[in-house]
Amino acid sequence: MTWLIVALIIALAAFGAPLFALIAALALLGLHLSDYESTVLAVEFNRLAESPVLIAIPLFTIAGYLLSESGSPKRLVRVTEALFGWLHGGLAVVAILACAVFTAFTGASGVTILAIGALLYPALREAQYSERFSLGLVTTSGSLGLLFFPAVPLILYGIVVQSLGTTPTAGVEDMIKAGVFPGLLMLGALAAYGMYSAPKRTHDRTFSVRELTASLWDARYELPLPVFVLGGVFLGFFAASEAAALTAAYVLIVTVVVRREISLKRLPSVLREAMELVGAILLILGVSLGLTYVLIDAGVPERIFGFVNEHVSNKWAFLALLNVFLLVLGMLLDIFSATVIMAPILVPIAISYGIHPAHLGVIFLANMQLGYFTPPVGMNLFIASFRFKTPVLTLARACVPFFFVLLACVLVITYWPTLSLGLLNHSP
Amino acid sequence: MVKRILRLLETAENVVMALLAVTLILGAALQVGLRLFDYGVIWLDPVLRALVMWIAMLGALAAARHDKHINLDALTRQLSGMSLRVARICTFLFAAGISVVLARASMGLVDLDRESGTMLTEHIPAWWSEIILPVGFGLMALRFTLRAFVVPDPDVGSIPTAEPTQ
Repeated sequence: MTWLIVALIIALAAFGAPLFALIAALALLGLHLSDYESTVLAVEFNRLAESPVLIAIPLFTIAGYLLSESGSPKRLVRVTEALFGWLHGGLAVVAILACAVFTAFTGASGVTILAIGALLYPALREAQYSERFSLGLVTTSGSLGLLFFPAVPLILYGIVVQSLGTTPTAGVEDMIKAGVFPGLLMLGALAAYGMYSAPKRTHDRTFSVRELTASLWDARYELPLPVFVLGGVFLGFFAASEAAALTAAYVLIVTVVVRREISLKRLPSVLREAMELVGAILLILGVSLGLTYVLIDAGVPERIFGFVNEHVSNKWAFLALLNVFLLVLGMLLDIFSATVIMAPILVPIAISYGIHPAHLGVIFLANMQLGYFTPPVGMNLFIASFRFKTPVLTLARACVPFFFVLLACVLVITYWPTLSLGLLNHSP
Repeated sequence: MVKRILRLLETAENVVMALLAVTLILGAALQVGLRLFDYGVIWLDPVLRALVMWIAMLGALAAARHDKHINLDALTRQLSGMSLRVARICTFLFAAGISVVLARASMGLVDLDRESGTMLTEHIPAWWSEIILPVGFGLMALRFTLRAFVVPDPDVGSIPTAEPTQ
């Protein structure tokens, strides 16, 4: 009977049932099997309200939506172009940097391709980058920057791990530090590949001090944002949630009151769209807390660990297995659901292999980043296909070389823990 | 008549959501400001966290209206016509059913906290904020039931609507 229900749930999943309902159904089934009342699920769901960092998710999401609806993407591209456009392969570098910054601020909800990719794709084609390279670059870059604060998946992972109460743990502040060097590695590798594949000429744009100052002046309201968000958090002036509060308030005032790029009439619909995403994420997070409770109560992580431990004896073999598993997971599930469902199971297993949860988090997110543009469910493939009116398969093929560049980065990140843990004050 | 009530409900929902979002932003910024001047307000923190729950539930309710809930859509992308209709009826009625169960379960939580007199802050009982859970899930059940019988515009789907400002 139980298996029949599980099979039914899987069938419903395949036909597009909302994930939160599927997770809730599994949690309810588990509660029923262990003779608990369904109220337990509501109690666990309500534990969302206990997390002091959770508020960062709606605040950063709102800030991201406001920014992408304003003229910020255009100004960001202009500044980056003025700064780096003169390099060999400069436009490719510009695309990579602008996408990374924008994704970090909009939380990888797919708007990067629409807001930045759509601006840069014509510019790349005009500068005689091949169609295949340009499409691959903008599609791949849509998920770049996931490892940089304030990307929502990074925050989400920190919140989930902290709720587990393991030792060692990896809160949001730890994840912020852990993501820096691995994120830079990915940027650097892609930029190098971009420069290597660029058309053979000296530069895409000529450098001009005048254009640089003009573009900086143009972006004068946006420029302080990364400085006080990153600076404030790194130097310890603000907690992550406080940086979120200041960012959201600042962005709201700048876009609506100072620049007036979003009219008061349009504001509710922009806010609503941001809240729809927040609602979708938090609903899944809430029911997953319930599922985690059920799984831990039934000793599932121990059992998986026992099974894995029997077959995989050392840390390195486990890491290799983890990479394969996460790659497949990233192909099937979106990053938010994958994080809230899998992190509670993976963290205890990883710790028993001597892997720090912050390192695991970086490996996890880096793999998921690849999943964004791998078929069959890579969200960015569909968004790019919609935006550039190109078949998904063509895009997937265009992404192949970028996939291997980033895969190499993922392997470095996996087998070189210091890269992730260097900035952390941790005891192994 | 039904359509008018639904539209009225949607407008009310939009206005309430926008107000809550702006309150959250300003409240959270105020809290940081107060902390910088070493002046903390004890009740502000739990109230803001309760506000996040309200925003999450109302956001989820709006997401149900626009089919924005996260799902696996590799297969449904290939469906159209009759098969899409059947798939939507099955999956959305399932989501509606689960929402009913969640509404009842969270009503249990509300009753529990009301009887035990759990407080959110010194003056606000916890169930005042928790009431959004049964209400939200209840309305979501209603909305999923309605959406089960509607076939969405194939062009839009789950693609975000944000377009660059030119």
